Amino acid sequence: MSNVTVVQSRSPRLPVVSGVDWDVRQGECWVVTGLQGSGKTALLETAAGLRPYSEGQVQVFGTPVQGAESDEVAQVRRRIGLVFDGHGRLFGAETVLENVALPLCYHANRSLEDVSEEVMSFLKLLGLEGWANQAAGRIGRAWAHRVALARALILRPDLLLIDNPLTALDASHVRWWRYFLVRLLEGHPGLGGKPMTLVLATDEPRSLLSIGQKFAVTHGGKWRCVGGRAEFEQCDDPELRELLDDKD
Amino acid sequence: MDPPIGGVSRWLRGSFGLAGRWLLGGLGTSRRIGAFTLIALGTLVTKFGASPRVIRPRAQNEILRAGVNVLPIVCFLGIALGVVIVGQTVLLLVQVGQTKLMGPLLVTVVIRELAPLTASMVVLARVGTAAVTELGTSRAVGEVEALEALGIDPIHYLVVPRLIGFTVSIVCLTVYMILSALVAGYVVAFFRGLPMGPTQFFRGVADALSWVDFPLLALKTVAFGVLTSMIICYHGLADPLRLEDIGRATTRTVAHTLVASLVVDALFLPVYLLL
Repeated sequence: MSNVTVVQSRSPRLPVVSGVDWDVRQGECWVVTGLQGSGKTALLETAAGLRPYSEGQVQVFGTPVQGAESDEVAQVRRRIGLVFDGHGRLFGAETVLENVALPLCYHANRSLEDVSEEVMSFLKLLGLEGWANQAAGRIGRAWAHRVALARALILRPDLLLIDNPLTALDASHVRWWRYFLVRLLEGHPGLGGKPMTLVLATDEPRSLLSIGQKFAVTHGGKWRCVGGRAEFEQCDDPELRELLDDKD
Repeated sequence: MDPPIGGVSRWLRGSFGLAGRWLLGGLGTSRRIGAFTLIALGTLVTKFGASPRVIRPRAQNEILRAGVNVLPIVCFLGIALGVVIVGQTVLLLVQVGQTKLMGPLLVTVVIRELAPLTASMVVLARVGTAAVTELGTSRAVGEVEALEALGIDPIHYLVVPRLIGFTVSIVCLTVYMILSALVAGYVVAFFRGLPMGPTQFFRGVADALSWVDFPLLALKTVAFGVLTSMIICYHGLADPLRLEDIGRATTRTVAHTLVASLVVDALFLPVYLLL
């Protein structure tokens, strides 16, 4: 991203985060943090080519994306996995299996029967095989977020953007996510072994300190790249301390 | 106190202003629905062969919902139409000795006008309103953005199957409505003393049909199908919706589809008058 101004989706004239200069290299793990409502989700959606922006330029894998639908942008989107916050925007009326299978069926022109075995083994990889035939709208938030991760990974993306991966999860889910994210960074054998580029947006940066390699902050409508883990932890900026410290 | 002429002038200005705003609003909505229709038709053409194993079952499902499941209601309405209108009209023509007008009258009233319009209205009421709610909810909870994030074109995945399903359904339901109305009308008239065999009755209707009626009926029903599905999808998807907007979108859909269907119906009138 080069000097990009991220805008509101419903009011494209209203800036959310401005002056975003951001270069994500292959295999890196970025943690983008900021208070709730500071524009992290908008930033991820802009990076995924889902949201228009008002200034600057966004290039993903060398292709400019500007929210407009074109074959080239659609191709780029297939190389990006985006996991939305909360219930992950799953298709609530469809089963977990159908949700995860959809991108595979659509892009490879295969029927659900054709891909169900492959998808089931993929669900096993993420510990979701027990939920396969449940309606996605009826499962809890923690599992739904994991289903959204499975749906984003099924096309084996090169870049994975995750919105609030560890928020409102119990300890066992947090452990699982941390373990899985590290495996993705190293190259998960079940996903071809290729190290994945990760961008994690969170309002609780402490939970991702052990995973993140580079850190950035959105605050007051501004973007700031902080640097590596050491710089991030030692930074005495009051805005950052507000996010990192437990003090009331 | 203003002189009375000033009050009238203000009232007239206000009324014209209101009418002008209403007209401009209507034109704006028509333009947006027209643009949405062109995008959807463009997607239908350019992605005709794309992902058939996903899109075809979805289109078949729409035909099942908007066509097969609606068939009993359409047949019932066709029978009611036959009993109320066809049966009485035929008997009236027999009483005044004008049986030769029976065919042209039935072709004009039932085949050209009532059946296509009624079939599309039934689809709108039975399936269309539910479809607006489904699409509106999908949009409001972010499922449409989720599709885009997966590289799936929402128009191709959500709109094209409905465009195909509603159009095919309205075309087929119109045929069933015509058949059930004519058969029921004849049966009622026969039991009330119509001095005419079924062959003579249906030959009278067939003779009143010209070959142009067939393509025109197909064109009209296809137009109703495209129009109905596009207005439904537009109000479900194109407006930036919140969950609380869905009710209003549904009522707007019904009103706009009714008006648009009557306008399209009126556009066919000069063609029929030339026949």
